[in-house]
Amino acid sequence: MPSAEDIKQRIEAAIDGAHAEVEDYTGGGDHFRATVTAAAFEGCSRIEQHRLVYAIFGGEIGGPIHALSLKTQIPSTIETH
Amino acid sequence: MSASQPDPLPMLSSEPAPSAAPASESNPIRDAVAEAISEHRVLLFMKGSPDAPACGFSARTVAALQALDVPFAAVDVLPDPRIRQELSAISNWPTIPQLFVAGELVGGCDIVVEMYESGELAQVLQ
Repeated sequence: MPSAEDIKQRIEAAIDGAHAEVEDYTGGGDHFRATVTAAAFEGCSRIEQHRLVYAIFGGEIGGPIHALSLKTQIPSTIETH
Repeated sequence: MSASQPDPLPMLSSEPAPSAAPASESNPIRDAVAEAISEHRVLLFMKGSPDAPACGFSARTVAALQALDVPFAAVDVLPDPRIRQELSAISNWPTIPQLFVAGELVGGCDIVVEMYESGELAQVLQ
């Protein structure tokens, strides 16, 4: 059973320069909520951004990871100057 | 004395591939999923029905659509696990619900709710 920290590390290892915040929101190790910020999302539609993250986990989504709720963002869109 | 040799490679002759192969790959469930996507302008694949969603993510997606008062068709994926398998194979999207508009995947619960809150969903559904 993965932990929120496992999920975070796998996302950050798989997507160059990504920063992930992951929460196990039921405490059961199978429902996670992640906010992923990565420059690699630039130029991708929101659907493609989510697909990039889902692809890391393949068949685990819907299996051991029952739900991975996602919010993806590109760093430049959240920077404040 | 020249012995005529039989063709030593009969197995490599260019016989047509058995024509049964493509026919046996016919996939009525995938066809039905694809047909539903092309037939309904706004189509939600969900767990349960709009009146009785069987999952919180499906419930939230239905609520966003209903808040915009947009008519939509819904397919319950729960009765047969193959519906979900074939849908995900077509859409390249692993989770349920999935909202399609005009034949295109808009997203799952997270994206639909995000788009609802930003007003984008109303634009897409116009």
